[in-house]
Amino acid sequence: MDELGIVDIREINRVIKSIYDYDFSNHALTSYKQRLERLMKMYLIDTADGLIKKIQNDPSFFDDILCEIPVPSTEMFRDPSLWRWLREEYFPEHMEKTTGKLRIWFPSCVSGGELYSLVILLAEMGILDRVQIIASCISEKCISYIKQGTYDVRKLEVSQENYVRFNGQRDLSAYYKPERDFVTRDTSLISAVEFGKLNINLDFAPQNVRLILFRNNLIYFNPTRQEMILQTLYRSLSATGHLILGIREKITGLAATRDFDIANETESVYRKKI
Amino acid sequence: MSYKAVIIGGSAGSFQVITRILNSLPKDFPLPVLLCLHRLKHVRSGFVEALSLKSTIPVEEPYDKESVKPGRAYLAPANYHMYVELANRIALSTEDTVNHSRPSIDLSFITAANAYRDKLIGIILSGANKDGALGLKKVHENGGICIVQDPVECEVKTMTQSALQLTKVDFVYSTDQIISYLQKIR
Repeated sequence: MDELGIVDIREINRVIKSIYDYDFSNHALTSYKQRLERLMKMYLIDTADGLIKKIQNDPSFFDDILCEIPVPSTEMFRDPSLWRWLREEYFPEHMEKTTGKLRIWFPSCVSGGELYSLVILLAEMGILDRVQIIASCISEKCISYIKQGTYDVRKLEVSQENYVRFNGQRDLSAYYKPERDFVTRDTSLISAVEFGKLNINLDFAPQNVRLILFRNNLIYFNPTRQEMILQTLYRSLSATGHLILGIREKITGLAATRDFDIANETESVYRKKI
Repeated sequence: MSYKAVIIGGSAGSFQVITRILNSLPKDFPLPVLLCLHRLKHVRSGFVEALSLKSTIPVEEPYDKESVKPGRAYLAPANYHMYVELANRIALSTEDTVNHSRPSIDLSFITAANAYRDKLIGIILSGANKDGALGLKKVHENGGICIVQDPVECEVKTMTQSALQLTKVDFVYSTDQIISYLQKIR
């Protein structure tokens, strides 16, 4: 298979933009190139021209692109200390202040690893019915994948280790059923989650959100696009709402001083300034 | 001197070597040093502190899209791949493991080779996995300098031997020789 050059990637982006009005040009170049090359390998496409022809001639292929370009979470309960913080500090403090349901938003779900981690945490706290969870996905395929509960068996061992470090109440296996070469997660946990397809610009983002989980997503965009996304997330949050990023993602520049306070530095949790 | 960066990859048995290198660089070392070392994914803190203890240059775990600056060492954070983007910034990624590793030495080396071309010095140290061999090949193909720690000296030889099998490297050096090579860069 040919390695993609910058010229190829620009042409691919141009074609996608002209047909589907999606702009991938602000993706971080290295990871985006790798995601495209991975997609080509999956679909046995050898050249950039081949990829472009498939995009032009096969409308159903576009949802495959939308599903395969975003990077799924690596494991469940990644960074157990963050999940412990949510259980021991964030939720006890904020549930107490909440009269209605506490609104939580995942702006970009791919495999549902973070979503399932959160619902397990909330179920164990006995407060799953006191939150409203909105899960946005860029592709229909991702939504059905998450709703079916299918999960990659290769990610189980590390997820299990994380869950132990999180000090969960049970064994992680209580939340899934082994199949032949994958597992099915307990989908009753997500029965109240509101799924929706959301485009790459996060247009029609929900409002009055108290907590946004958006970990290790910003890293896939260039700084220009990161700033725009952060503005959208900022507008979605209610006053003093919290935004959780990946632990090596940081809000910099004007937004850092003007829009957000740091709520938990080691876990990269930010609080919207009023 | 026209080099733009040094990149070092290592795994089992490389910690002492890295420490000695970092402790011996001139304080005004003119290049950035990128470190991609295999590490436990759930141990987030402690490693950078241990490397910093006696290092002559600052060692940090970069945040995503941080600019790469000379005279500093950048350690790939636990459970992230570390890339160099063409704009001379660090980019982090949580893509799949490569050679069972995240961070993957191959990915760091390949992206650094793309960004710095023939202005890169790549060094592979002791390790128990073939990660890094492909990356070093890419450094060579782009005209960069390739150095491999002498397997005789390595606690675990798999990584250096895999690199030597795949690429005709410029130097096979002991730790002392690596240090004196780097000290001559002005």
